[in-house]
Amino acid sequence: MEISRRLLGKMAAALAGATMLLPAAAGAQDKPAPFDNPGEVEIALVRYLSTGDFFQAYLSGVEAQAKALGVNLRVLDSRQDAALQADMVDQAIALGVDGIIIQHGLTESMKEAAQRAVDAGIKVVAFDVNVENDAVPQIEQSDRDLARLALEQAIEDNGESWKAGYVYVAGIAPLDRRDETWRQFKEKYPGIEEAAQFGTLDNPIANSVANQARSVVTANPDIQVMFAPYDEFAKGVKIAVDEAGLSDSIKIYSADVSTADISAMREPGSAWVATAATNPAVVGEVSVRALAMLLAGEEPGKSVIVPPTLITQKALNDGDIKNMEELAQKLPQFAHADVAVPAWMPLPPRD
Amino acid sequence: MESRMAEKTSMAGNSGLSVREIAIRYGFLTLLVGLIIFFSLATRGFTSPQAAVFILQSVSITGILALGVTATLVVGGFDLSIGSIATSSMMAAAYVMVVLEQNALVAVLVCLAIGALVGLINGLIICYMRVPDLLATLGMMFLLIGLQRIPTEGRSIATGMTLPDGSTAEGKFSQAFLALGRHRFDLFIDNLVPASVVVLIVLAIVIWFFLEYTRFGRMMYAVGSNERAAEFAGAPVKAYRIWAYVISGVFASIGGILLAARLGRGDIASGNNLLLDAVAAALIGFAVLGAAKPNAFGTAIGALFVGVLLQGLTMMNVPYYTQDFVKGAVLVVALIFTFALLGRKAR
Repeated sequence: MEISRRLLGKMAAALAGATMLLPAAAGAQDKPAPFDNPGEVEIALVRYLSTGDFFQAYLSGVEAQAKALGVNLRVLDSRQDAALQADMVDQAIALGVDGIIIQHGLTESMKEAAQRAVDAGIKVVAFDVNVENDAVPQIEQSDRDLARLALEQAIEDNGESWKAGYVYVAGIAPLDRRDETWRQFKEKYPGIEEAAQFGTLDNPIANSVANQARSVVTANPDIQVMFAPYDEFAKGVKIAVDEAGLSDSIKIYSADVSTADISAMREPGSAWVATAATNPAVVGEVSVRALAMLLAGEEPGKSVIVPPTLITQKALNDGDIKNMEELAQKLPQFAHADVAVPAWMPLPPRD
Repeated sequence: MESRMAEKTSMAGNSGLSVREIAIRYGFLTLLVGLIIFFSLATRGFTSPQAAVFILQSVSITGILALGVTATLVVGGFDLSIGSIATSSMMAAAYVMVVLEQNALVAVLVCLAIGALVGLINGLIICYMRVPDLLATLGMMFLLIGLQRIPTEGRSIATGMTLPDGSTAEGKFSQAFLALGRHRFDLFIDNLVPASVVVLIVLAIVIWFFLEYTRFGRMMYAVGSNERAAEFAGAPVKAYRIWAYVISGVFASIGGILLAARLGRGDIASGNNLLLDAVAAALIGFAVLGAAKPNAFGTAIGALFVGVLLQGLTMMNVPYYTQDFVKGAVLVVALIFTFALLGRKAR
């Protein structure tokens, strides 16, 4: 136990990096129980998805906020195994943790596991998975808002009538929610003509999408706007547009962001002009804060929504932003969300 | 594998082509031509030099992997690790340039060395530890999927990324390296043929010549058709088999280099789809020209066939899930063609 805690602490410290200062020590008396003695509090993060930039950043946010609170964090990673994830919730219950964050997963497998945890008197919050339980607040990045921000920018840049290519794969919850917004926009602006719809999740996604997009732009060279509401899609479309030499006539709008995306958007003459994104690290922080509020007997609300930010190529170039850290520094609305912040809540250091 | 080789040898004795033999021999090529004609009529822009080139480009990486796996099929083996070798080599290229700040040549050499080393280990495990080929390369596949993520703690590699120790990676993909995936050679039209297509064609010719016309290649077929007979004949069977895995590993790492050059970053990915597409191309290749054995020409045509089909369907706006279905259907038909038709003929 001691060893694993120490290890976790080390990992957290390494990830938080040298730039991170120790959280300002707030007077212990200011905080409600059980955070007047945070060393006794243990929370578990039970993950379904973990590989990729987004999930890495999410974890770093969870770790930063847990450290700011001074609570012990235990990370259980099921690596896309739904049954194992349910077992891990039971494992966390058996370990006697005080709170659990369920990160992604399937409603079918997590619903009962979450109920068992609630029955055991453990506070639970869920990120991006609906466990159909009134006692469990939902942490959400608003996919509809993500799509809306990107599309509003497309309207602003290109007017209300253009020919579009759309990248979409059905059956993935966030993509489905983004798709709803796309449909609404097509209804609202009849001038938008969807000339082609394509998409694939074949690994490596960007390469497979690039092959498809290449065919699409050859068949429809008059497409003006590509709506690719997932950054891997946008990367693939950008490769195809570059290869076809159409960077000047096509603009790409997407959702999500990473360091690699930033450099792709900033390449000279890049067709990728805007993306809407929520900072995954902030979502991680908010998840822990919502759980902490529950533990302190407060009510974070049935659903806790982390608002997205629009990131344009112009903003990146103007601020000479090269990676996610600089993005967070120069776009403060991206770095922090004033969500689930009661007065007593210690926040991770902000620089 | 042995029985298929036997069929092939009995086939060689026949001369004078019946209708069925013509169907067997040229059926797949006719189908390919038919598809091209169909897509030319059904879509805009299919019959342009550019379209022809990007179809080749879309299959260049899986095609190269497929040529490598053909070498292991020839010796009666199989390599499941090619997809993950390719993605590992992609990550290695990105790591060498972005994190270690080395030049393109170093990156390429490191990738090729990784491919050769992994192939060598595969071969040694299979030949000397007596682990069945499927299991050994399956294990290697998992090992590599994990290994490629360890240096960066699961993150993709791109310029400006934050390293595990908190500093920022300053290196970048060198222009010379990116040219491997992006440079286009002039052929009648300026900037037409991408470098990756040239690499595919060169490798296809090299491996085809190697397997069909060199003593080494013919010995590999002999090992594949009857290992014991080859051994009695004094051939160093184990060496041939190990070489096959080294070839497969090196080809896969070349595929990875081209992938990295095209994407311009080290993307974490399992490479399983690369594996499946490459294996499909190699197996479809069995049916081309009625060969009924792994062969480089067939593999190249198989890859091209899948490429024509998928790009044509995409241009017709056919959704992605039907594309997997079509890919599977082509493979099943090709396998039936190979085993049923040619099998009956041999009897």
